[in-house]
Amino acid sequence: MADIKVDFGKFQLKNPVMTASGTFGHGLEYSQFYDISRLGAVVVKGIRSVQSDGNPTPRVAEVTGGMLNAIGLQGPGVEKFLHDDHYLPGLKKTGAAVIVNIWGKTAEEYAEVAARLEAEAAADITALEINISCPNVKAGGAAFGTDPKLAAQVISAVRNATALPLITKLSPNVTSIAEFARIAEACGSDAVSLINTLSAMAIDIETRRPKLANVTGGLSGPAVKPVAIKMVHDVYKAVKIPIIGMGGITCGADAVEFLIAGATAVAVGTTNFVDPFVTLEVIDFIDSYCDRHGFKSVSELTGSLQL
Amino acid sequence: MSKAVIVKNEHLHGDYYRAVFDAPECAAGAYAGQFVNLRIDKRNDNMLRRPFSINDAKDGQITILYKVVGKGTANLSKLAAGTECDMLGPCGKGFSAPADDVIPVAVCGGYGAAATFMLTRQAKQRGVLLLGARSKDDLLLTDEYAAAGFDVRIATDDGSAGFKGRVTELIAPLVAENPGKKFCFYACGPHPMLMALAKLLKAENLDGELSIDQIMCCGVGACFGCVVKVNDHAHPGEWMYARSCADGPVFKLADVYVGK
Repeated sequence: MADIKVDFGKFQLKNPVMTASGTFGHGLEYSQFYDISRLGAVVVKGIRSVQSDGNPTPRVAEVTGGMLNAIGLQGPGVEKFLHDDHYLPGLKKTGAAVIVNIWGKTAEEYAEVAARLEAEAAADITALEINISCPNVKAGGAAFGTDPKLAAQVISAVRNATALPLITKLSPNVTSIAEFARIAEACGSDAVSLINTLSAMAIDIETRRPKLANVTGGLSGPAVKPVAIKMVHDVYKAVKIPIIGMGGITCGADAVEFLIAGATAVAVGTTNFVDPFVTLEVIDFIDSYCDRHGFKSVSELTGSLQL
Repeated sequence: MSKAVIVKNEHLHGDYYRAVFDAPECAAGAYAGQFVNLRIDKRNDNMLRRPFSINDAKDGQITILYKVVGKGTANLSKLAAGTECDMLGPCGKGFSAPADDVIPVAVCGGYGAAATFMLTRQAKQRGVLLLGARSKDDLLLTDEYAAAGFDVRIATDDGSAGFKGRVTELIAPLVAENPGKKFCFYACGPHPMLMALAKLLKAENLDGELSIDQIMCCGVGACFGCVVKVNDHAHPGEWMYARSCADGPVFKLADVYVGK
């Protein structure tokens, strides 16, 4: 048994496997299948200051090697998230470590959401993940994550609003993701997570209509994994803060690839939809991989790429 | 999530098929209007699960009826008996059991008749199936409903079987034939049919439950892909999104949003 605990400096996780925001609901949806406190952390769907309807349907489409989505960050708003049993109070009962993904339409809104979460539930929240990379909302999301100045404004505003550990979730839809990782580090983010979905589109050739009502969406699933691995590799060389790697993980071997590329932890996303138990398999695989290769701690694996 | 082994996967007619699975965990406790989310194979062009209404669940077996409409169902139609699939279910909220004092009326479009079939076992009074389809070639399960004691009435767009017209047009005569009787309508079919039905039931002050869905992904309420509009009772006249997989697919008529 290797030591699979991971240390992010300001917070520690029992293992390096978490869920990608947006693919695990608000956490309780999967607690019907297993004890979600076994995860390194549950990363919940994006929360803003007020309730949000999201995009019109259809919101999802299957493509070769993955799927497109344009959910558009439907969510209950921060107050309901804090006080309704379907959300944080229910999650707290499971004993799971909770990372809350936050967003807003302005830098001030991001800061407001962070401040509310800290004020009401600092003890129940392991970290906040700043979502500056959702490609499916017109204001907020990737509008901030693809412009260096706006990214810096949002991250700094949240940093000034809370002492909670901060993770910045980066968009792959930029020329240099390393540049944005450096901005996150400089503005006080404690970690970065990558990648969010790749901007994408699919067309039904019979009707000649886009397959998503939003016309464009985000590509996820196994197809994006090599792109994500390369970006984790790039970011690992660019910053000192830890990386949460994600994008197309379908099994334990995929997760180990991210760790070798430079990730301290990983998140499983789209595959949860296909196999609700995949995260548990990934945890077990990482443990056995470390044993098989003589790593006493999973942390030795991070950035162990042989060049 | 459990193993489901195909017992039988038969072509009915046209693009319609029936598959029977040995799936004791999914079959236990399943009721009308619920669905299973099936991982058909592990091909990289068919990764996501596909939801199917449960046509029947008994003796440890799940029966589904399906139409080949795309890659997933085309792949499913080629699977032989003995093939092991991975089935998630029973999923979602289905139809309420009909009260003793109502005539249960299934109002279905095409293979939507699969979703209401198990109500035939719960009906205390003789039930009715109102089945609409494009033509006689799109009718399914009429013999099974008749054998279960339901009064089967058909409407086709082209008049090739039964009444020529829409299935909703069969409701007024049915109500007129049964003065003083209470009804509950249980519906599954294409979205325009369901919206027309909901408007009619509301206008006539009749009660019902409708199975309404959208292209689905996780099937357990996590991805928010399959939302449908329902009434926001906190803000009368306004709608909000509900997840068809977890909050539905069956919604009470009072919750169904039919527009302003």
